[in-house]
Amino acid sequence: MTTPPPVLTPAGLEPAFDLATYYPMLIFAAVILSMACGIVAATHIPFLKPRNPTKTKQMPYESGMDPIGSARMQFDVKFYLIAILFLVFDVELLFLYPWAVSAYNTTGGWQSRYGDLVFLEILAFMVTLTLAYLYAWRKGVFQWR
Amino acid sequence: MPEFNLIYTALMIGGVIAFVMGTVAYLILAERKVAAWVQDRLGPNRVGPWGLLQPIADGGKMFLKEDVIPSHVDKVFFILAPIVAFSTALLSIAVVPIGPSTPPPAPQATVAEYEAAQAAYQETFTFAIQPGLDIGILYIFAIGSLAVYGVILAGWSANNKYSLIGSMRSSAQIISYEIPLGMAIVGVLLFAGSLNLETITDWQSQHGWFILFQPLAFLLFITSVYAETNRLPFDLPEAEQELVGGYHTEYSNSMKLGLMLLAEYAHMITTSFLMSILFFGGWSLFGLENIAGETGIGALLLRFGILGAKVFGFVFLFLLVRWTIPRFRFDQLIGLAWKVMIPLAILHLLAALLVRHFELPYFALTALSVLLFFIAGAASVRTSSAQKTRRKQARSATREHATVGA
Repeated sequence: MTTPPPVLTPAGLEPAFDLATYYPMLIFAAVILSMACGIVAATHIPFLKPRNPTKTKQMPYESGMDPIGSARMQFDVKFYLIAILFLVFDVELLFLYPWAVSAYNTTGGWQSRYGDLVFLEILAFMVTLTLAYLYAWRKGVFQWR
Repeated sequence: MPEFNLIYTALMIGGVIAFVMGTVAYLILAERKVAAWVQDRLGPNRVGPWGLLQPIADGGKMFLKEDVIPSHVDKVFFILAPIVAFSTALLSIAVVPIGPSTPPPAPQATVAEYEAAQAAYQETFTFAIQPGLDIGILYIFAIGSLAVYGVILAGWSANNKYSLIGSMRSSAQIISYEIPLGMAIVGVLLFAGSLNLETITDWQSQHGWFILFQPLAFLLFITSVYAETNRLPFDLPEAEQELVGGYHTEYSNSMKLGLMLLAEYAHMITTSFLMSILFFGGWSLFGLENIAGETGIGALLLRFGILGAKVFGFVFLFLLVRWTIPRFRFDQLIGLAWKVMIPLAILHLLAALLVRHFELPYFALTALSVLLFFIAGAASVRTSSAQKTRRKQARSATREHATVGA
């Protein structure tokens, strides 16, 4: 049993990157994917189940009526607005994660010098976030009807 | 936690898959039993004693029934959708410690200290497929966002109006609730200082559970989780009365539908684990987990039992809520996410930031949480009553108009 080689980071000595650490995840992903494909493939085994497709069986289900027109219809623009707003907020959220993890970690010792600066910066960031949010609200994006 | 070991990994993977599959199978039975109790019925009781063999019968039926693929679907995506849904649902449990865990050591100043810490860490054991992953929660959220693709692919490829409407609703709902879900966690990260689930558990066993300090974050988190897993009261994507089956309308009752349902229940299990680990201290119970000693088989079983009790409590809550709260309307659903939960999450994050920066006692955050909750409640009551009076005025105005016209 060996200790992984250390690497010096601003926080201190940490284990160096080693791909072997991530092998379990890769194996798990392979197992799950092959399992899913296997189960779906098993639904196509011919001798295990009856197979007699008829014309009515193959129709789109529309509560017993004959289908009217195509299902690929136009959609309300509201859905796209929600998607765009989601993109904005999700990216802002991703900015918050690294900050939240490192801002008050006691290792590193930079808080004494830059802690207040980081605090003010994140406040400014959140104010811009709130302004964007209020703008979207005033524009009526959240008003569904 | 020793370095990579194939046998250990294989055992862990096999154990986790067996656990999740078994729980999912019996969760479906439990769901039907709970539904029956709530509605004063008996529930499934024909197959085996107390209906205990029902999951096996259901699985057999799904494998043996005819698999109808309608002629109008996009075959590739139609077959791909269950694979995507199932694998994304199961992949996210890889970083979750399903039993006792030890956090990876913090960075050290000298080489001697580093080697001592690493050697001590290698002696310990963590019951997770991928222990010590630094981006823990971020990985779960990343995989969780991929779950939308299963829904979208299923709904779009089916070429059916119910499926399309269901999948559009579902995607709008899932992405809307992902923001409060992520923001509620930031407060936890600020205090624990790590994305690693083992470190977060460790922080809580030292300082106290996060539910005590951040009840509002937990409330936001659990609400978003119910929306993310498409459970009632947020099950609009498959609102039976309007959309038949939602995005899986066109899947006949074969194993493809089975994979979709499995994925939903697997999500429930993963999120129950997340809630117990993030807010209820994982396997810790205010020091009671040490009753049977720090190490040894008794301590191990006790810690598994504590975590398992918490997880199954949350799973049972899922089942009960389904029969307690009626379904939302879609505009209410989007309004709840964007007009109530996101501002609350931002305010809560601000409160957590203030408490953390000025090093106030942790219980100040509890007080702020409760205060914010009541302010939000008062504000929503005022706006809804104002809307009601406005609507009443509008109605009476039109009525007057009508009588004048007559």
